[in-house]
Amino acid sequence: MISNLIDKYLSNEATEQEVQTLFEWIEASEENKKQFINAKKTWAIATLSGTIPNETTPVINIKPKNKTISYLKYAAVFLVLLGLTKLAFDFNQKTKLSKEIVLELGNGTIEYITKNNQTTLLNDQGQLIAERKLNEIIYFGKVNDNKVVYNTLNVPYGKTFKITLSDGSVVSLNSGTTLRYPEQFGINGNRKVYLTGEAFFEVAKDKQHPFIVNTNQVDIEVLGTKFNVSAYPETPTVNSTLVEGSIQMSETNNKSNAILLQPNQMATWLSHSKKIIAKSVDPSFYMAWTKGELAFKDTPFSTIAKIIQRTYDVEIINKNSDLAKQNFTGTIKISESSVENILELLKRDTPFNYSINKNTITISNFPN
Amino acid sequence: MKINSNPESMYFESFKEGDQVAFAYFYDQHFSKIQAFSISFIYDKEEAENVTQEAFLHLWENRTNIDSINGITSFLYTYTKSKCLNIIRHNKVKDRFKDDVLNQKERELDTEILNSISFDVLELTELEHLINGSINKLPPKTREVFIKKRFEQKKNIEIAEEMQVTLKAVEAHMTKALKLLKNSLSDYLMLIFLFIYNN
Repeated sequence: MISNLIDKYLSNEATEQEVQTLFEWIEASEENKKQFINAKKTWAIATLSGTIPNETTPVINIKPKNKTISYLKYAAVFLVLLGLTKLAFDFNQKTKLSKEIVLELGNGTIEYITKNNQTTLLNDQGQLIAERKLNEIIYFGKVNDNKVVYNTLNVPYGKTFKITLSDGSVVSLNSGTTLRYPEQFGINGNRKVYLTGEAFFEVAKDKQHPFIVNTNQVDIEVLGTKFNVSAYPETPTVNSTLVEGSIQMSETNNKSNAILLQPNQMATWLSHSKKIIAKSVDPSFYMAWTKGELAFKDTPFSTIAKIIQRTYDVEIINKNSDLAKQNFTGTIKISESSVENILELLKRDTPFNYSINKNTITISNFPN
Repeated sequence: MKINSNPESMYFESFKEGDQVAFAYFYDQHFSKIQAFSISFIYDKEEAENVTQEAFLHLWENRTNIDSINGITSFLYTYTKSKCLNIIRHNKVKDRFKDDVLNQKERELDTEILNSISFDVLELTELEHLINGSINKLPPKTREVFIKKRFEQKKNIEIAEEMQVTLKAVEAHMTKALKLLKNSLSDYLMLIFLFIYNN
């Protein structure tokens, strides 16, 4: 078949003999020649397409992508963003604000988790209880309730980490986050963890043993599937955004002050008024960080600066009052954008000058 | 206030003003396309890389003369087309076949094909639209094979291994892709051919 020969030729897979045959066919008639020319032209022009590998995505895409993912095997999926707790403060004191991810074991031993080391994950009896992968730890097993041991993991600015708890629940930790969790869950107990910062939870189903995230003054109890919790020290609120299933946010010291969330809702704990309110949201926006993206929607520059500081572990000093009042909308792929890339892009919308000295960025007015 | 909803036009403006970061954006975006295009006519990966580099160099030097984003692709492709024609005319294309008559015939055909494609801005916009549309419509596996072939210059055997399919399946995907693409471009191709005939 001639069209096979043409395809082979264009694909660079034809033998000399086949090329000979092809060229003879081409010379046989004007019609044949035309057919060949069209085929090769198509081939040549096809390079115009934008769908090629190694395409660099623009630094800022406007619409955050809406991905519906099925997490059926998880009981609950939620995001928790928390406010400051004593927990994080103490921890930071001990480890002197390490730039590395720090794991404190139940017996007080402190280990630094770096790219290269193989953290030994044995318990006190020398049994293997966890597996270490590049940017995550996976725990397994159960213990008797009276033997439950708590570890504390601290993720500094500029880094993220993932823990799979021993019941199979997966917790993705954002920069500047501390999680206190049972090394191995007890056979009969509640599954309780303590969080400061921001984490995305995919909780394994276990109706007998409720999964509870404690964040300073609120508890988030899982009745269903996936959620994100955002509770950073600097913010006086705790936000919990539900992706799938159902969760309940309640005041720790007053269980009757509670809200039951449906998917695509976000509950916010207002620490001053001690109220919990809920509103409908697009979870993918709040979960952008789990996909390596930062998403902003009419976000004031001051908030953006905070997020950049956390994500890239830099300090931003803003002396530009105009910029401080500005809101921005957009999405940034973290792995493809440096702080300078981001500043350059923001600059196009609202001109400003900035200078960088080691890890500190100072923003001033424009023109200088 | 929104960040400009078209980041590309921001880059374009900066590029014209001499911003190398913006230039790098377009470089990254188009390099492999131009290289893939050149390889189709000069058959040597390194040579194709050289031609592409030259095209970008000239683009940079002529940046003030580019009027629109499409002007960038138009410039790059037009430059590359003329460079390839030059290389063929000066007999600098490496001989692919033992039979020199075949080499000669191939050069003639390539010259004719290159001469028949115009990359002026208006046509380019239309073409890009057609191409993107039809490649996006390809079934996923077919598209994957096509991309590996066209842009990564992988051999059918390599593709078969990577995608865990048979060699015959790869060949079938290629045939399908080319056929579908040709159909999408059929109007455009006919127009061009009439143009040649009338010339």
